[in-house]
Amino acid sequence: MTYDSSLSFIFMNTTRVVFGSGSSRDVREEVRALGCSRALIVTDAVLASRTDVPGRIEKTLGDSCAGVFSDVVPDSGVHIVDAGAAFARERGADCIVSVGGGSAIDTAKGIAIVLKEGGSLRDYEGFQVLKRPQTPHVAIPTTAGTGSEVTYVAVIKDHEAHQKLLFGDYNIIPNTALLDPDLTVGLPPHLTAATGMDAMSHAVEAIHSQQNEPIADGLALHAIRLIREFLPRAVADGNDLVARGQMLIASNMAGAAFSNAQVGLVHAIAHTVGARYGVHHGLANSIVMPHVVRFNAAEVAGTYRPVAAALGVAVDGLTDEACAELVAERLSDLCARTGLPQTLSSQGVPESALPELAEATLADASIIYNGRTVLGADELLEVYRAAF
Amino acid sequence: MSIAFPSEEWVTAFFTAINESPEYKEGGKPWTYGVTALVVNPQPEIGLTEAYGIWLDLHEGVCREAHHCTVEEAQTAPFCIFGDYARWKQVIHKELEPVKGMMQGKLKLKGNLQIIVRNVKAAQALVTCATRVPTRFLDEP
Repeated sequence: MTYDSSLSFIFMNTTRVVFGSGSSRDVREEVRALGCSRALIVTDAVLASRTDVPGRIEKTLGDSCAGVFSDVVPDSGVHIVDAGAAFARERGADCIVSVGGGSAIDTAKGIAIVLKEGGSLRDYEGFQVLKRPQTPHVAIPTTAGTGSEVTYVAVIKDHEAHQKLLFGDYNIIPNTALLDPDLTVGLPPHLTAATGMDAMSHAVEAIHSQQNEPIADGLALHAIRLIREFLPRAVADGNDLVARGQMLIASNMAGAAFSNAQVGLVHAIAHTVGARYGVHHGLANSIVMPHVVRFNAAEVAGTYRPVAAALGVAVDGLTDEACAELVAERLSDLCARTGLPQTLSSQGVPESALPELAEATLADASIIYNGRTVLGADELLEVYRAAF
Repeated sequence: MSIAFPSEEWVTAFFTAINESPEYKEGGKPWTYGVTALVVNPQPEIGLTEAYGIWLDLHEGVCREAHHCTVEEAQTAPFCIFGDYARWKQVIHKELEPVKGMMQGKLKLKGNLQIIVRNVKAAQALVTCATRVPTRFLDEP
């Protein structure tokens, strides 16, 4: 991995990370450490109805809990954020505790904005427009994948306009992340695998990003080592607390890496097939990642040498191109070992849609940081066909 | 002769440079999303006592109107990009790519980033047009 004299970057990682089995039981103290006393729990409907996790957090917060807002759904919407903020205001909340996956944490980021600034979340669409710290936010992830507990972006859908809105601001990075492996043991194997590969894609994409830099690279490479070792264990035995814990750490590190270095073509494709055909984000990432590695290798093969080493390849004596091919193969192997499907066709994407998907992918913001500059839809169509 | 940035003369020269640019005529063709306003944040030590807004009515590869505006007017545009003087100077020198600048907080965008990204060629062509204006910067002798 080489850097030249033009290296120039900003690295932000402001989240206090508290890790350990049972660490979610510190939530009350962490809320108070932020100078707050009335926390609104933001969680998703499924987690609230099928598990006791939000209830446990509520009980731990005791009289510091202002209420539970459990209306979050996948692809959370502006109207949900606005309703959550109104509920928080009505209950006198002075901070947010999010419990769940990416949707719950992103919704909480939105609520944190509206609770502080007023109006509707739509008023704050944009990048870096907020002028002050937002409502304090403690994030408790229950999946090991999104890394949203340390990122500066929230993706919220405007269901009226049928648009996904991006909110990017250093002021919405959660203040605290409680990484408690106990809370992820209930995640079924297929979701453990798909979210784990989401974390892997964050790490790989941070490294092959045009904005890669040494701090993010270091985080991403160790995340890759952890995922390689512990994802198969977490999938095979959901009660393996060591594996669950290491996956939470890997997801967190990969999140910090991509929040700074950005993601690339893997995510641009995953966003597109997710929006059009509802393919699970982590699964879509895992399907296309090996093919994007091969695509990028034509121009930035050297990028994949340290990735190959982190995946356990003995790289001495290998060419950069060979390293890149082995990265693609190892990623496919990992998907296979964790039982993930490996084709877009298996996810209901019709072959006839590929040209339109390739065209639509060009409009995704993630594409601008991809290690190999994408020149047109024709190039993308080849990647789509390979992943089909 | 160089023209001070920002100033009404500079905005007029920028307007001309955009409409004379074959790159913008081509790259800006898909842009049908309305006005983009640029705001230079105040910096009293170089004589910029108030925020300086530049209103650009861009449509299908043509700049239909460009004028100096207040920050209040700028914020009514569908896309409004704020930045400190030094950041705009970096953009004009092509040292800072605007979309990357927005994502890193060096520039601030009010509006839909996805639309900007979809039209990144138009954004790049606009920057090229700015480089063609013989510019004198207020913080340089």
